[in-house]
Amino acid sequence: MSDAEPIVRVVGVHKYFTRGAERVDVLQDLTVDVADGEFLALMGPSGSGKTTLLNLIAGLDTPSAGEVWVGSELISQMSETGLARWRTRSVGFIFQFYHLLPVLSAYENIELPLLLLPLSAADRKKQVMTALELVGLTDRMSHRPGQLSGGQQQRVGIARAIVTDPTLIVADEPTGDLDAKSADEILKLLDELQRGLQKTIIMVTHDPHAAERAQRTLHLEKGNLVEQTARKLERA
Amino acid sequence: MLSLLGTLAKFAVIIVKNVRRNLLRTTFTSLGTMTLVLVVTLVWSVLSFIDDQTSEKANDLKVLITEKNKSPSRLPYAYVSSLKEGAARAPDDVRPVDYMTWVFYGGMLDPTKPSRENFIFLIGGEPEKIPTMMEELDQLGPADRARLDRAVQRMKEQRNACVIGPEQLKTMNKKVGERIKVSGLIFKGIDLEFEIIDTFPDAAKRYAQTSVMNIEYLLAALEEYKVTNKKPHPEGDAPVAFVVLRVKNRAELERLTAQIGDSPLYTAPAVRCESQGSAISSFLEAYKDIFWGMRWLLGPAVLFTLSLVIANAISISVRERRMEIALLKVLGFRPGHVMGLVLGEALLIGTLSGVFSAGGAYLLINKLAGGIPFPIAWFQRFFIPDQALWWGLAVGAGTAFVGCIFPALSARSVRVADVFSKIA
Repeated sequence: MSDAEPIVRVVGVHKYFTRGAERVDVLQDLTVDVADGEFLALMGPSGSGKTTLLNLIAGLDTPSAGEVWVGSELISQMSETGLARWRTRSVGFIFQFYHLLPVLSAYENIELPLLLLPLSAADRKKQVMTALELVGLTDRMSHRPGQLSGGQQQRVGIARAIVTDPTLIVADEPTGDLDAKSADEILKLLDELQRGLQKTIIMVTHDPHAAERAQRTLHLEKGNLVEQTARKLERA
Repeated sequence: MLSLLGTLAKFAVIIVKNVRRNLLRTTFTSLGTMTLVLVVTLVWSVLSFIDDQTSEKANDLKVLITEKNKSPSRLPYAYVSSLKEGAARAPDDVRPVDYMTWVFYGGMLDPTKPSRENFIFLIGGEPEKIPTMMEELDQLGPADRARLDRAVQRMKEQRNACVIGPEQLKTMNKKVGERIKVSGLIFKGIDLEFEIIDTFPDAAKRYAQTSVMNIEYLLAALEEYKVTNKKPHPEGDAPVAFVVLRVKNRAELERLTAQIGDSPLYTAPAVRCESQGSAISSFLEAYKDIFWGMRWLLGPAVLFTLSLVIANAISISVRERRMEIALLKVLGFRPGHVMGLVLGEALLIGTLSGVFSAGGAYLLINKLAGGIPFPIAWFQRFFIPDQALWWGLAVGAGTAFVGCIFPALSARSVRVADVFSKIA
């Protein structure tokens, strides 16, 4: 971890699910700090709990025990509505399968989170255009997802994630559905966002090449943190 | 405020785009909704008309004087002179503000060919009372009223003049200006020759199949029969079906009823005195099961089916889009927002379909088809009332709301972690 103050603090978190009478422990007494502006990768085999951890940090789920802090907010004790409000302003999501609404254009998909904020139409447009420029898709803003390539759809997804200027960006296998070239472009874009905008990025990945872009990698196995790799990155 | 409106407009855009997503399904749902709203509109139009006819007004009431305990009613014409004064004897007795005597004369144009085209049924009355005492004719526009007044004047001057409803005229294949000879059926042996001087104006839709004549023409023919045959016509002593009186209010109605009931003038036959609403209710008693079924079985069944149609379409839509709903929640859409989007889709389909259906029915049935042919009692056709446009809106929106409550609650409760953990 870098010397900066942690923006994310996961303290003694335990998460289990029940399947019928069976209890499945997904995360066990996990403690993790993520520094402000850090690019963190979460790796591990399927079922290791990395997506569950990401969901907890992003406020999509609540822990069975323990605390999750993001900045000064104890999000693990927020109500569903409180979490939804918090996510709008504080978290940007990037998904493996992009999850764009097929009936909306790229512009409208990016604008979606802004509809929940008290912004004028002009301010919304300004923020959407800024995000489109950052991902290099201004010329495709009227296209629907079905008219875009996988890489372009993921760029739209990234633009949607950053359009509200969130504290934290979480990415779940953002390159998992892309070819090598597109994956590299997306990772480069994330890298630029982290460096240029000082965004804190937490990325779940199976791909060691993708993880190499991160400043630190946490390895999870059966809900436990088993290894931590920090690296000094050569920035292009 | 502007930003809120702008955001709501964006939500509306999302709703419209979602509705357009599966055009085939939306079209079928809309068509189903429109058909069912049409059925409800037709049923309620009939019931609304019947309710209007049988409702008891507080002011400007019409009173029907009929033969007591006998159907069809037959009253001597001699009763009319005192009945039109409300059987008033003392100076402070109530007197009606208007009256009209009704006789019914029906017959065949060609007695050797009994057919619908050959049959005519006329209401006989005092011509000058037609514009004020026959329902809705006092609501005609100035041009139509002037035309009716001219016809009335002519009927007063020329006893064999008659006015025939435009549809009846068409059925008989006759034209204004032609003369017709009618062989009496109700009054057998009383054959009358009429001159068709005009039709009822198109605006008087309920009279499209109604014809009117001067009562004096029939009375004179009955008198002539008596002279010629040296005996009265079997129906000649009591040719009047009923007398209609108009009173100012309910209090006067009650006093008038008491005056007529207490009068010694009406003993053989005795008379019955009741408000028009009550009289129509009594007459429609035979149809009460049909109306009950329409009101409490058919109407609710259609509304329930309509809710199911919308519930089915929205349920499928929500089930197909669980991932998208979860995504919206990830982005910060609250359960209320998600519910609003789902409700919005159902309301958009339901409301538009309802308004189009009721509006289309109003235009097609009232303006083009000339009413719904649904002969019950003496009502031949029913029309879609103006308020049906609101029924369409209310039925479409109401059933859409009820139908999509469960799908909307289901969408509202989609758990993000459940949906995304299945994918990861």
